[in-house]
Amino acid sequence: MKCEKCNQNEATFFYQEQINGHATKVALCQQCAAKAGLLSGQSDPFSILLGGFPSLSYRTARPKSTAPAATCPSCGATLTELMHEGRVGCAACYRTFKAQLAPSIRAMHGNATHTGRTPAKRADVPTQAATNEALCTKEEALRDALKQAIAREDFEKAAALRDEIRALQAKEDT
Amino acid sequence: MAWYQVKGNDTDTVISTRIRLARNIEGYAFGHRLDDEGKSAVIDKIEAALSGEGFTKTDVAALPPVSAEALAEEHLISPQFAAAKGPRALFRNDGKSIYVMAPEEDHIRLQCILPGLALRDAFLVACATEERLDAALPLAFDEHLGYLTHCPTNLGTGLRASVMLFLPALSDRGMISSLSHQLSKLGLTIRGTWGEGSSSHGAIYQVSNQVTLGLTEEDILSKLEEATASIIAAERKARRDITGEARLVREDRIHRAEGILRYATRLSSEELFSLYKDLKQGVCEGLITSMTNEDLNTLLIHAQPAMLTYREGSDRLSPSARDARRATFIKNALEVTKHG
Repeated sequence: MKCEKCNQNEATFFYQEQINGHATKVALCQQCAAKAGLLSGQSDPFSILLGGFPSLSYRTARPKSTAPAATCPSCGATLTELMHEGRVGCAACYRTFKAQLAPSIRAMHGNATHTGRTPAKRADVPTQAATNEALCTKEEALRDALKQAIAREDFEKAAALRDEIRALQAKEDT
Repeated sequence: MAWYQVKGNDTDTVISTRIRLARNIEGYAFGHRLDDEGKSAVIDKIEAALSGEGFTKTDVAALPPVSAEALAEEHLISPQFAAAKGPRALFRNDGKSIYVMAPEEDHIRLQCILPGLALRDAFLVACATEERLDAALPLAFDEHLGYLTHCPTNLGTGLRASVMLFLPALSDRGMISSLSHQLSKLGLTIRGTWGEGSSSHGAIYQVSNQVTLGLTEEDILSKLEEATASIIAAERKARRDITGEARLVREDRIHRAEGILRYATRLSSEELFSLYKDLKQGVCEGLITSMTNEDLNTLLIHAQPAMLTYREGSDRLSPSARDARRATFIKNALEVTKHG
């Protein structure tokens, strides 16, 4: 397998992370891993890639991120049914099976985010759960951006993103 | 008057424009997961939201099948909606050419259909009704995914903008597959309509946006508008390029088509569609003067099986009886347009 950064040397450095059941894998060669500061003797490559915060590395261990609900609490649809039908059972399914639906939605629409019209008034007053969910989504986006910044060795940007993630997490924990 | 009876822009190449918005109401299951009670509740909410907006409600579930099919042949509802089971209603405002199916695959399928090329107008009309629904109902929406829909392919704007094009010259030159390839690169799709599979009877094609998420409505409309302008220009040029013997052969075909329409005593819908291509070219180029584009659209739609049966005041006609009635109906209609 070739290094995903230089696309020339054989990849010898691998890491994988799970966020809400969605796996992200990165494979780098020795040189690119070293350039990115991944071989500096730290035992936890996750924490380095994520900006040096071990606390951020194991987000998947948090209760809310593990064990996704098997059934939608609103319409009773199961993930298997949705995958089989290729249709979503209700609006709540998009929240319940968010992580599991994400790869399919990405395959259809790419990494796109809605930029069109929005309702004049939102359907529901955001609950604490919805607010946390929004924060998580934002954090995921920041973490993606951070990884990209590290990959292109833009460490200044990476540091800024790291601070932003830290602030967001502090907000979420309050 | 229905959309097909009104004069539009660029009708030599564009038959109609359609804007469709998919919306759902928070708290109700989608599609087949919504039970009859839920369907009735959704219909009631939409009826209340649209009250005072000049809409007429048609209880599609209570219609005889032939009447529901006739609505589908007029393109006012989808064939799936016509054939579905359980409570379902059409809210129509013919004056504004706006039609709301409730509940279809999504709770709200709102469409504005206008003659000729009218993407902006159709979008504005659709938005006015959508805003009315939005003000009254909690629409299912997500900050990242946009409007939440039964099928994830409609997420985001929930907008399907389409133009129904008449492309006989490009079709005869075998250019549709290359056009299809180019359109797919732009996130647009082309499909034959009023025909089976890839073969498009009557050289009628529908071009619409494929992508609904990540683009603004303006992006979608602009892209489709630009592509449509290029296709129109290419079709017109291809028509001009038909000269000499080929032009004479085509003129002969056009007059023969008109002759069949006038004198046939039995006419299948299949044959009528195959004649449509020559008839419309004849009307567009002034070779057929006995009818206008709008007359021809009306003939084509009113001569479809369910429309014909419905207009004859019957529940059911055998295919053979229908072919005879179709020929008579067209002959009579042509007499009216000639003297009208």
